Amino acid sequence: MKLDTAKKVGPPQHFVHDEWPYEPKFKRVNGWRMHYIDEGGGDPVVLLHGNPAWGFLYRKFVKPLTAAGRRVIVPDMIGFGLSEKPVSERAHNLDGHIANLTGLLRQLDVRNATMVCHDWGGPTGLGFALSNPDRVHALVIMSTWAWPLPPAEFHKRIFPWRMMHAPLVGPYLLGRHNALAGRGMYLSVVDRRKFRDEAQSVYEGVLPDPATRLLTWTWPRWIPLDETARGLERFQWLERELKKSKFPTLLVWGREDEVFDHKTFATRFKELLPHAEGPELVTGRHFLQEDSGVEIAEKINDFLDRIDGSRP
Amino acid sequence: MSEIEVIEGPGLDGKRRALVLTEDRIGHYPEFRDFFVKRFSLDTIGLARSGYIRAPSGTIYSLVFVGRSGKRFPDGLEIYALVDALEPLNDAGVDTDLWALLRWMIQGVGGEWKVEDLDATGRLYQLPFLSQPG
Repeated sequence: MKLDTAKKVGPPQHFVHDEWPYEPKFKRVNGWRMHYIDEGGGDPVVLLHGNPAWGFLYRKFVKPLTAAGRRVIVPDMIGFGLSEKPVSERAHNLDGHIANLTGLLRQLDVRNATMVCHDWGGPTGLGFALSNPDRVHALVIMSTWAWPLPPAEFHKRIFPWRMMHAPLVGPYLLGRHNALAGRGMYLSVVDRRKFRDEAQSVYEGVLPDPATRLLTWTWPRWIPLDETARGLERFQWLERELKKSKFPTLLVWGREDEVFDHKTFATRFKELLPHAEGPELVTGRHFLQEDSGVEIAEKINDFLDRIDGSRP
Repeated sequence: MSEIEVIEGPGLDGKRRALVLTEDRIGHYPEFRDFFVKRFSLDTIGLARSGYIRAPSGTIYSLVFVGRSGKRFPDGLEIYALVDALEPLNDAGVDTDLWALLRWMIQGVGGEWKVEDLDATGRLYQLPFLSQPG
């Protein structure tokens, strides 16, 4: 039986929004139903979100990139957005999510891709790039990390970080109360009023029930805090391989990002990738796409034009 | 908010167990698993019976500990409200009861885990039953 039967299964919910007029598409990856959009033509730009977002985070990127002659693919990570949301914590692990992305991009026969990586879209997107270098052309890295052990002092603190996803607290706060998709994202943008009026309900609404929010407290638990952490070896591999890679790279960071602050994180990426351009600083906290979406899209266009030689 | 009381197995006639919270990884921070092991003598009781608590509302909750092959016990925890068999849950009451349970748990875990930090987290995320920050 052919596994790619997702269209027969159909989407779990119908999403309609003025800023997201794109045809929902689905592929079966590793047994899960993954949602993505695939717009425009040309070399692909793959836009990868993290926790607790989904493709909607990139709504202001799609038109500028496609208008510049690029194909834009925006997947929703399994567990988020319009993709299937497994209800077992054991369904989620870093390698599995890299394999999910790999499954999708191989089915789409993506080649010469620019991987735009944000938050957990960083370890997963970079994991794909480093294990499929023949399919990747360039990297754009934003507010993420790719090395073992605490990415920042922030992640070692009980308040506000570790308490939020502690045993039982995570399922209660992020599950019953949807704290990350609501208040958490709200606190992580610069223009909070605009976010509240235009986007917050979309992020909250796509995770309508506690069981659909499982990944919002599972991902924080995958951030390595000590040598016993799950995923430690994968992060060690990411750091080691990234250091060897020669992909043209652009770093884009939110000027106001206090969690993945650019002085710590962009600097670390520059040490790993000395050839990287940037960091280009834009208005934004962790979810910088919300505050500077169009501007970042234009920076990506400029970067790709430059490295492809179509612009001086 | 008043205390959580650990009780012996209550009568279940006319009651049903309503699942209200699931934790798949109680030992994510091992001290949380250790708390439940100690508080409910799980190292000797194992899977033999559930734990029971009475919450501030008076509702009794059953704590069902979950084991998984190859993992230290317990690996997970399911919390059920014991409610009248045919009656719906009082969601708001469950919410405040669970918050009381979390405070009791954090107090019991101790060490670097402080109830003040839990309360601050609840206020940061604006739990509706907590006073709002200024």
